[in-house]
Amino acid sequence: MATPIFVTAASIAAELHQAMLEAKGLALTAKNARALAVRAGSKTVGFKAITHFIDELASDIIRQSQYINGVSEHLSHNAVALWRASTAAEKFDWIATQHSDNIASLHHAMQSCYQQREALSHTLSRGLRELEQQLEEGDKHIRTANLIATSSKVEAASAGDFRNQLEVIAQNITDTADKIRAHLSQARRLLGQRQKHTP
Amino acid sequence: MLATTLYEDGDHRWIMFARDPQKAEGIIDTNQYMVQSGDQAILLDPGGIELFAPMLSAVLKFVPAEHITHLFASHQDPDIISSLGLWDQALPNAKLYSPWLWESFIRHFGMEKIEFCAIPDEGMTLNIGRIQLQFIPAHYLHSSGNFHVYDPKAKILMSGDVGAAMESTDAPLWVDTMSTHIPKMRKFHQRWMPSNEAKLDWIRRARQLDIQIMAPQHGRLFQPPHVQEFLNWFEDLPVGIAIKG
Ligand SMILES: [Fe+2]
Ligand SMILES: [Fe+2]
Repeated sequence: MATPIFVTAASIAAELHQAMLEAKGLALTAKNARALAVRAGSKTVGFKAITHFIDELASDIIRQSQYINGVSEHLSHNAVALWRASTAAEKFDWIATQHSDNIASLHHAMQSCYQQREALSHTLSRGLRELEQQLEEGDKHIRTANLIATSSKVEAASAGDFRNQLEVIAQNITDTADKIRAHLSQARRLLGQRQKHTP
Repeated sequence: MLATTLYEDGDHRWIMFARDPQKAEGIIDTNQYMVQSGDQAILLDPGGIELFAPMLSAVLKFVPAEHITHLFASHQDPDIISSLGLWDQALPNAKLYSPWLWESFIRHFGMEKIEFCAIPDEGMTLNIGRIQLQFIPAHYLHSSGNFHVYDPKAKILMSGDVGAAMESTDAPLWVDTMSTHIPKMRKFHQRWMPSNEAKLDWIRRARQLDIQIMAPQHGRLFQPPHVQEFLNWFEDLPVGIAIKG
């Protein structure tokens, strides 16, 4: 049985929430790296410059995760409303097959229920498309994070006494980027699975 | 869904809907009622969400949707009113009369269009077409905010969970002998009704009414002399027994 959209969307929101927490960790890493770079002085000028990029990237990811989180939560509510309208519509369909006596008197309520179902399912597919685009955006951030991590490692190698500490930070960036990527791909997997079942 | 006309005088009717043959296992069987007068009708305890489709279908055999102007929920239980979210789609202009105490709970069943009309603790009357119904206080029987519905013209008391019996779906509609019926009611009343004081207050009210039919939400219906026999039996029955357990 297909997972209902409202469960999928809520799960996506949860993944993005985790991604956002990781990005907050990344912002902290950037702050530590900058403090270290300042103390290290001239040997780490390159690294210091990179910390600005890390910081910027972290706040981009946080902003975007929060946005996707909002979109998917909204989507989940929307899907619940759609489920309720569809449930009522299915009951009306069944009632319509039962007898004809006063069925005409339900016409108005049935029509507005069907219209509501239509409108909600329209909003829902638009929301799902937007979600897909946003998750693709997220992948771009991951590619940037990987570039930054590589540059950090290069800069760390020439940082003399601070080499070890900076290497730890560079590794930290790589690990965090991996975790965020895992959350994003899990979100995309959930979305893809859902769309297979949605005509 | 079996529909039985309990009373008919011109366009004033009491219809009972019960014994749904499609009812799922493990769900308590319930009696739903409709009181109709002229071009207005009220559904009394319209039932659980699983019952909505057969109920609406059965009701439409008697009245068009726009004539179902009112709903009544004696209390907040799911077997009473968990279908509300679907009635809300079917009857957007209807009004729901229910104990004021339960408004914020009953809204959890989903109610966006239907208007909630709070019944105050002391009860009230409501005109349906050309007749007047009375909401009789039955608090703590079993719910802490609870009403029964009395129709002084038809002389019918819809008594909610009072007088309820656990029966199979093919049981007769009417109580025939009290001695065989009492065992089916005893445990339910002793365990579900919490207060002897509330019970006696309700019996005092019920004895002031001329009751030709006492119609509970589960099980069989009572006619004289079984109505009086029920009141006497209930009066002597100790309730709220779980605390002794
Ligand atoms: Fe109840
Ligand atoms: Fe009940």
